[in-house]
Amino acid sequence: MNDFFSKIGELFSTSSYIDSLLHGFLLTMQIAYFAILIGVFLGTIIALIDTAKPSKWLAIPKFICKVYTTIIRGTPMALQLFIMFFVIFAIKGFPSIITAILAFGLNSAAYTAEVIRGGILSVDKGQTEAGLALGLSRYTIFMKIVAPQAIKNIIPALGNEIITVIKETAIVSMVGMYDLNMAAKDIGSGQNMASYLVPMVVAALFYLATIYLITFIVQRVEKSLRKSDLRAEK
Amino acid sequence: MEQNTDLKIKNLHKSFGKNKVLNGIDFELKEGERVVVLGPSGSGKSTFLRCINWMEEPTSGEIYLDGELVTEKNVRRIRRNIGMVFQHFNLINNLTVMDNLILAPMKLKLMKRAAAEKRAKQLLKHIGLLDKADSFPASLSGGQKQRVAIVRAMMLSPEVLLFDEPTSALDPESIGDVLSLIRELADRGMTIMIVTHEMSFAKEIATRIVFIDKGKIIEEGTPKEFFSHPKTPRVKEFLKKVL
Repeated sequence: MNDFFSKIGELFSTSSYIDSLLHGFLLTMQIAYFAILIGVFLGTIIALIDTAKPSKWLAIPKFICKVYTTIIRGTPMALQLFIMFFVIFAIKGFPSIITAILAFGLNSAAYTAEVIRGGILSVDKGQTEAGLALGLSRYTIFMKIVAPQAIKNIIPALGNEIITVIKETAIVSMVGMYDLNMAAKDIGSGQNMASYLVPMVVAALFYLATIYLITFIVQRVEKSLRKSDLRAEK
Repeated sequence: MEQNTDLKIKNLHKSFGKNKVLNGIDFELKEGERVVVLGPSGSGKSTFLRCINWMEEPTSGEIYLDGELVTEKNVRRIRRNIGMVFQHFNLINNLTVMDNLILAPMKLKLMKRAAAEKRAKQLLKHIGLLDKADSFPASLSGGQKQRVAIVRAMMLSPEVLLFDEPTSALDPESIGDVLSLIRELADRGMTIMIVTHEMSFAKEIATRIVFIDKGKIIEEGTPKEFFSHPKTPRVKEFLKKVL
């Protein structure tokens, strides 16, 4: 136990260790942040195509979206990462962070699309019919009626997806990137502290704190969205 | 041709996959008429009503409003002239009562906000729900929701008002409130089509009864003819069960 605390002391008093951890954490956050942006953007587009009224113009896009989500969700993330690194972007000097962001973004898009699709479909059909019967356009119906109701159902599941992406980025250490997970392993290795326990516990706390913060934010957003329901009960 | 025909339907068919629901309906509705559509459940009466404003796109057949053929291109404009009241009210949950009323007139650029709000307030006052203007639908009772839904349809001053089982999801007390509002519209000369199971109300309000069975109109006539002297055995059997 004494050893544990002395190791903690050593970790926090050695600036190169702290630097490594922070660098790793920064890389983890960068990948996750941009991947989530791509995921939400692309996922929204996929969900909109998927839930749009069938027409001959949309038949092919709808099919592509289906194939895309099926492949992404049906294969391991680690394999997708390898394919991005060793096949698609196997270009010398291509920045690995961009490859990683794309890999996680394209993966997250498939899951986010399902989350958004589910949210849109959970809005009662009668709501759309009310708008149609009043002569409103599909665009107005979506923006004024369906989307505001769908968001309430989407936020909790989207929060979950964000958390998943942050944790899943840890597998970039498999392609040699220096993220938080890799930093913990590096600091614990023989040339450095020669003990894995402390750096890994500290890395875990970094992840935990980040995810706790995100959970907190998502809950606040959820609460504020639910306010219109509470007002309704007055 | 006929001067004051609001609505004309020719050989309307509707199938859901292999299931043929409407099998050739010919129908005319004249201004000021109040038609009640009756029929056993599954006969296609709701589908018939929902085809009129293309809530369900007809499989084949023609629908004319004031002589204009309804097509995919003009259906949005035509829907403004055909109000619809649903069984489950379908008030927009994320909008207040006031916003439910003014959304369409404003978005369709038929009224400015101030004018729309003024009209909405008049109508809400009329149905005794002015104090609910800023409430969300979730806080209203079923009867209140349906009356707001009727008033919402009236905001666009439609030529025809379609009621799809407007009281089927209501408790007995609310039914009375909703029916008296419909009765009032009728007294003011509104052209109305109602699908309902309220026989006594049908008898009282209708100028004409249309009976649908297996996707076809098999009998129509004034309430007196229909209820007292039904012509077809199917209607006789139906009336024996429901009266």
